[in-house]
Amino acid sequence: MEDTGRALYSISAVGNMVGLPVATLRTWEDRYALVVPDRNASGHRLYSRDQVEQLRFIRTRMAQGLSAADAHRLLAEQLGAGLPITTQTSRGRLLILLVEPDPYSAEYQEYFLKTEGFEVKMASDEEAARRSLHEDPPSLAVIELLVSGGSGLSLCRYAKEAGVPVVAVSVLECRDQAIEAGADAFLLKPLDPLKFVSTARDLLGSSSFLHTPPGDSP
Amino acid sequence: MNDRLTSGHKPLDAVLGGGLPANAISLLMGRPGSGKTILAQQYIFRNATPERPSIYFATVSEPLEKIVRFGQSLDFFDRTAIGTSVFYEDLGAKVSRHGLAGVTEQITTAIKERRPGLIVIDSFKALHAFADGHAEFRRFLHELSGRLGAFPVASLWVGEYEDAEIGSVPEFAVADAILDLTTARSGQRDIRFLEVRKLRGSGFQSGLHAYRLTADGMHLFPRLADAPIDKEYPQSDVRASSGIPALDDMLEDGYWPGASTLIAGPSGSGKTLLGLHFIFNGARQGEPGVIATLQENETQLERVAGGFGWSLNEPNIEVMYRSPVDIHIDEWAYELLQAVKRTGARRILIDSVTDIRAAASDATRFREFCYSLMQRFARQGVSIVMTFEIPDLFGAERLSDDAVSPLSDNVVMLSYLKDDGSIKRTISVIKTRASHHDPAIRQFLIGRDGIALG
Repeated sequence: MEDTGRALYSISAVGNMVGLPVATLRTWEDRYALVVPDRNASGHRLYSRDQVEQLRFIRTRMAQGLSAADAHRLLAEQLGAGLPITTQTSRGRLLILLVEPDPYSAEYQEYFLKTEGFEVKMASDEEAARRSLHEDPPSLAVIELLVSGGSGLSLCRYAKEAGVPVVAVSVLECRDQAIEAGADAFLLKPLDPLKFVSTARDLLGSSSFLHTPPGDSP
Repeated sequence: MNDRLTSGHKPLDAVLGGGLPANAISLLMGRPGSGKTILAQQYIFRNATPERPSIYFATVSEPLEKIVRFGQSLDFFDRTAIGTSVFYEDLGAKVSRHGLAGVTEQITTAIKERRPGLIVIDSFKALHAFADGHAEFRRFLHELSGRLGAFPVASLWVGEYEDAEIGSVPEFAVADAILDLTTARSGQRDIRFLEVRKLRGSGFQSGLHAYRLTADGMHLFPRLADAPIDKEYPQSDVRASSGIPALDDMLEDGYWPGASTLIAGPSGSGKTLLGLHFIFNGARQGEPGVIATLQENETQLERVAGGFGWSLNEPNIEVMYRSPVDIHIDEWAYELLQAVKRTGARRILIDSVTDIRAAASDATRFREFCYSLMQRFARQGVSIVMTFEIPDLFGAERLSDDAVSPLSDNVVMLSYLKDDGSIKRTISVIKTRASHHDPAIRQFLIGRDGIALG
């Protein structure tokens, strides 16, 4: 069982994960004393995964029009009532299709996405990817451009036409071709886990917000 | 993300073309005691951050506790980093119980959970003993390199590999970089050298680079071996006096600035004194000078200088005394270059180049070293006088086998002459580049004011 209360993220990492400046996190910590990270021996702040979720909750509520103070008050009420803190969709977790022929890369990508709360479906070739895109459209597709001997670009176009946002990944520096083919973002491999997850979150941020279940609104 | 990992020591990073390659497999080979573990830990601590920690995996070569215990004596070892940005893990128990599959599993788990920027496996070579034949080891190697390649992590595989294994052991083919720590016997001591044997996709400084191991880690002295440059540089037309007017006349009004001059002669013939004339003459005209001595120490040299009315404490005089015992010629050269830069020196006396030759590993190395040093100073317009001892007391048949005289712009020869029952000193100019000279052999005396030509 994963310990989501364990402090493990630095403040800069959390800033990247939730899309907020580090200075804002410090200010909120001082002002509202609600999301207060642990400190290591050197005095550096370390946030747990639960706290990251709490900050995402605040950010989502602010995007819906609440002030920072009201979002914090709402979070305090949720925590006080023992209600789950979530920014996820009504259907459960967001589904990401991972099109990756390399088993080792696929294993890491799946792991990092799952630890961030995403549901992951794997495809190791173009045919399986097209089938998944058609039968069970994901919220996001991560496509290795060298899949099936280099069919990644055509797969990007196919996903785009199906309305699925795409993160193209490759060891080849071919960002422009990927964007031209319809990818929303391009990442050079090997993938930095934080950048990888942040990119997925960036692309899903708006859809996650739009899919916020009615009962989860303030 | 930076594509290079620093060692925290700029000369070493420079030899590697900027540092150890990130997202790559590097192999660190060397005999016991060559400093592999020290260098590996140097990289561990210099690159670790809480976001991208470093992990040190010990296998079955040395107990983990021992590595950590001895590691604490190193200056860069930061106890507070342990557990937050530096992790030490034991692979020995895992490989003993579960074989090579256990190694892959433990490393993969660590990558997922800790997201490291650097992994060290020490000793990697020891893992061979756990493979049931070459095929299994190759499968293990393929899987491990595949897993490491799929994540942005640099890994350093440490092992006591022999030179002959480079062509036969499969990890050398997998490695993107190979760093070899070797030793060479010189007299009664071993000199340590680092050599980059391979660095995929990057330039590096080839050859043997001497190093020392200190509490601060590896201190490297990149091999001074400058490539010729075609670019022109400004040259002054004002000649530098030798400090002896009669010798200046023989040289057509002194040396060209930036020239290298070899003063060759037998013991006691006045080589150092001739060099001191050059230095003190410059100092008194406002040209700082460095006396790089490997012969007399400062006290001895002060006494010599004092006998001729000079003092090492005069303005514009810097003495760099280094013992010729246990000297590394490149370390010495970098100290001299620093001293020249710091003082703004225009003149240098090297006393003697014979000691440098003795400390050089071979004649080829000595020649390229001298060439590089002379070229560097020539481009800066800094004039060098080098003393060189020859065994023949009464007229030498030849100067040297090591070609330092062909490299020098000027050669001045001192010798002895038997004359009417006594021994007299003579001076002659053998060679001047880009200048005429008087080919006469002239006698000279050493008096209270130094050298006086007859």
